[in-house]
Amino acid sequence: MPAAGFVVANAFYPNQQELVMMMVYLALAQGINVIYGFTGYLPFGYVGFFGAGAYGLALSVLYLHVPAGVGLLFAVLAAVAVAALLFPLLRLEGVYFAIASLAAAEALYEVISNPSLAAVTKGPYGINLVSAYNANASFVAAVALVAVSMGIVVYLRTSRLGLALRAIRSDAVSAEFAGINVVQRRTVAWLLSAAMAGAAGGTFAWYTSTFYPGAVFDSSISIFAIVFALFGGVGTTWGPALGAVVLFGVYNAVGISQPQYFQLIYGVLIVLLVLFLPGGLGSLVQRLAPRWRRLRRTPGRGPEALPGVGGPDG
Amino acid sequence: MNRYLVATAGLSLLGLSVTACGASPSSSSTAPRAITVGTLYSGSGAFATSSQPQLAGLKFWISQENSKGGVYVGAYHKRIHVKLVTYNDQSSATTAATLYTQLITQNKVNVLVSDFGSVLTAPAVTIAQEHHQLLFDPTGTGTVFFTPGNKYIVLTALPTSGIWPAPLVQFLLAQHISKVAILYDSNDFDASQAATVDSGLKAGGVTPVYYQAVPSATASYGTLIQSIKATNPGAVLEFGYPPNDIAFLQALRSSGVHFPMVFTAFPGQLHQLLESNVGQAGLSYTYSYGFPPQLAYNTVNEGLGTSAFVQAFAPTDPASVNFLDIAGYQTGLVIQAALRHASSLSQLALRNAVASVSGSLNTIDGSFKIDSQGGQVGELLPVSQLFPSGSTTKIQMVYPPASATHSAVYPAP
Repeated sequence: MPAAGFVVANAFYPNQQELVMMMVYLALAQGINVIYGFTGYLPFGYVGFFGAGAYGLALSVLYLHVPAGVGLLFAVLAAVAVAALLFPLLRLEGVYFAIASLAAAEALYEVISNPSLAAVTKGPYGINLVSAYNANASFVAAVALVAVSMGIVVYLRTSRLGLALRAIRSDAVSAEFAGINVVQRRTVAWLLSAAMAGAAGGTFAWYTSTFYPGAVFDSSISIFAIVFALFGGVGTTWGPALGAVVLFGVYNAVGISQPQYFQLIYGVLIVLLVLFLPGGLGSLVQRLAPRWRRLRRTPGRGPEALPGVGGPDG
Repeated sequence: MNRYLVATAGLSLLGLSVTACGASPSSSSTAPRAITVGTLYSGSGAFATSSQPQLAGLKFWISQENSKGGVYVGAYHKRIHVKLVTYNDQSSATTAATLYTQLITQNKVNVLVSDFGSVLTAPAVTIAQEHHQLLFDPTGTGTVFFTPGNKYIVLTALPTSGIWPAPLVQFLLAQHISKVAILYDSNDFDASQAATVDSGLKAGGVTPVYYQAVPSATASYGTLIQSIKATNPGAVLEFGYPPNDIAFLQALRSSGVHFPMVFTAFPGQLHQLLESNVGQAGLSYTYSYGFPPQLAYNTVNEGLGTSAFVQAFAPTDPASVNFLDIAGYQTGLVIQAALRHASSLSQLALRNAVASVSGSLNTIDGSFKIDSQGGQVGELLPVSQLFPSGSTTKIQMVYPPASATHSAVYPAP
């Protein structure tokens, strides 16, 4: 549905760039959802996968001369390769993991932008993919990205893998005693999340076409993705999508109409959310849903839904 | 689960079929009520101190033209009021991308001007080309922007960054400085300059004794300065953005290390900012590029000359005028010349008009001349040196001799 919504919006709303960015952030928020909502690992350096994906696509187009659509596969591969390189980070937890992932993303950025590697990565001189630029094709790729990322979360919400991940998030030791291969399941979630960010980075690179390393390794991309996911509610299917659409929409609306009050309005909104809706918009829906059901049901027709079911912790 | 997946996929496919539907912009042959100029600025973030003066210069040009009844548009043989539309990109390239599209697709600006510098210009390049909108680029000097076949970009106020240090290289060779240390930030703007100096010196028989890239976010230079000192250089060149230059010069002063020659890029552009942060002692006898208004161009055939501009722009505080104010104004002058000569308001007509005035336009920023890809090649950036003057410093041109207003003091006392 979100994917279809973007397509419909594209027919009426002339700022396609804004729609593409919204879709990219939606996919990133869902990627955060996969790794944080389902396993409890919060990667502040999530942008590292995004940047790896952007460069995966760019370098495959520039050097292997593949079509940009095929380059998206290289974007995913590049991000997954970086995730595989960073497997040891999964031995850390909490804030240590968050900081280590941030450091890893910074290190990757410095490697990519190093002038000594300009012959390979174009170094700090940036990427120009104008020859591969195709606004409509890259928009379709972004729509597909949204559909796939939503599909992955739907799968995790309804599959044994997702159930195992949520069990690990609740208590890894108990989950292991229950026969869940904790390391393997976490690894799958980590790679899946990286692949989603890589695809998002590749789509961004394709649509933007001219960019510097700083633009695709900008830590604010991680922050936005995390905020969008938390705003909507992690562990849910719709929460991160809702967070990305609402907050990114507000971000642009306020930024365009009231630039002088932008930081104030946006900051107040987030503070209010954290104070009054720590579980995100998704938790609001979960709180209201049982009441709605009660109103609709005739008394005595069956058990009421338990509040909190389907929330961040299952 | 399958029900969800099938529904999602089905709706996506349904939606994809609608993507072909879209509106195309229409054009009008009647004179518009206003010429709409659209640009971005950074209200906060790393580029705010540079972006805001550039916007101030552009606004000044608009106010000057509107006070005459508007800018003269040759296609309609009359003056038309200029309207400015601006958005705050907060120094973010991704935000800038959305806002550039907003200016083109929703505000439908007649003239698109990019924000300060290469980082915030980069997202505009493809967007402008895709929408066939000419991008007036005041200060985005990245080499990747100017490509064969892209007619939709013109660099208005600076040469591409690789050209900047050409006089500096000649100066170093003329001074017979054989040991040169180069420290630069790993971004396009600074790395291009460093590479030009490196290759220019090598061509002159001088191999830099120190050639090191550091992250653009570098704020601590103490250890780097000690490493440079160990090579005993005759000249130290630091290429960075204003925060880097400030941090480097502050660290140099506090370290007590003295080099015969120190060059940084921004004292010549943002003299007051650098002086307020580094102080007279930290800037004295250092070198920089020479920019207007210190580099004066009073014989002009478009707009105001340097003295008149400074007087009109900041009558109560002439010292506050910096190059980026002039870059914004200069961009207005190029737009003005294009509107006067263009046969219509179409973007290609504007581009052709810019090409037609290339080489014949002499402004506050020197000779305006572009190559076939829209890159600026007409302006020279002489080498300047900052001399103590009372409690402040005064910028003097020291090289090349044709531009010199003072002799270089080398080694620095």
